[in-house]
Amino acid sequence: MLYIKCPYCGLRSQNEFAYGGDATIKRPNLNQEVSNTEWDNFVYLRKSPRGRHLEFWHHISGCRQWIKVDRDTATHEIFNTYKANEEV
Amino acid sequence: MIKLSPLHNIHSIGSYGNYENKDEKNLIKILEVKDLLIVQLVQYKNSLLKIEDLEIDGLKLNNQALTITHNKNTRILWNSPKNWLLMSINKDLIKKINETFKESDFAVTDLSHSRSIIEIEGRNAKEVLKKGCPFNFNTFSKNSCTNSIYNGISFSADMVEENPDKIRLITLRSFGESFYHSITDASLEFGYKAI
Repeated sequence: MLYIKCPYCGLRSQNEFAYGGDATIKRPNLNQEVSNTEWDNFVYLRKSPRGRHLEFWHHISGCRQWIKVDRDTATHEIFNTYKANEEV
Repeated sequence: MIKLSPLHNIHSIGSYGNYENKDEKNLIKILEVKDLLIVQLVQYKNSLLKIEDLEIDGLKLNNQALTITHNKNTRILWNSPKNWLLMSINKDLIKKINETFKESDFAVTDLSHSRSIIEIEGRNAKEVLKKGCPFNFNTFSKNSCTNSIYNGISFSADMVEENPDKIRLITLRSFGESFYHSITDASLEFGYKAI
């Protein structure tokens, strides 16, 4: 069981959250030509790193806000959490 | 038209569980809170309106997490940033709310018929909640609120009183009966009185 510090509600159990995937993926800019490969990479291509990783979590049974979590996927240690709009 | 409360079919008055040979004061009390005006207020992200300037039933919206502003009739729970849940026994307040919170800045949703509210009272009330919810209720004090999960059911808790603890549990109407069963099953150990 993980305990995740929600930037809005404080320390909460993982049960209240839903995993949202890699938080480093950037959407291609709007109103610009995007190749099929670039779009395919944005939609489907994900790394599966062993180690420190920035990921999205959704506090779905709490404040319903998306947050970013800096977590080690091997040890499950959580280094920091951020609001979704914060640049890391 | 007959109005049926969400727990109309399962909430039966009486004493249950381990209640025999116990002082009635020590039993947990469980009741259904009904006929409330429940309104969700959400300020749009692009709204520049200062919430300090707004007032409803003499209460201001509070943007501090997990807190409540309240008076005798109305309680406004912080749900999430720029999102509040207003509960009031004054049903006429909806007119004032619609006048105060303009459509251009706020989404106002009347949830009066889509929520089920259970009030649990007694010195073991927090113990009942701890059985199915990962939230640390030891830090939960009077006039604070939280959203969490109880045996997989999302709910909001509103601490109305302390000594003995009186906590309102608000969940979706469709989850109401399952949630009621979860809470009453967990209360059997202590003995409870449904009122």
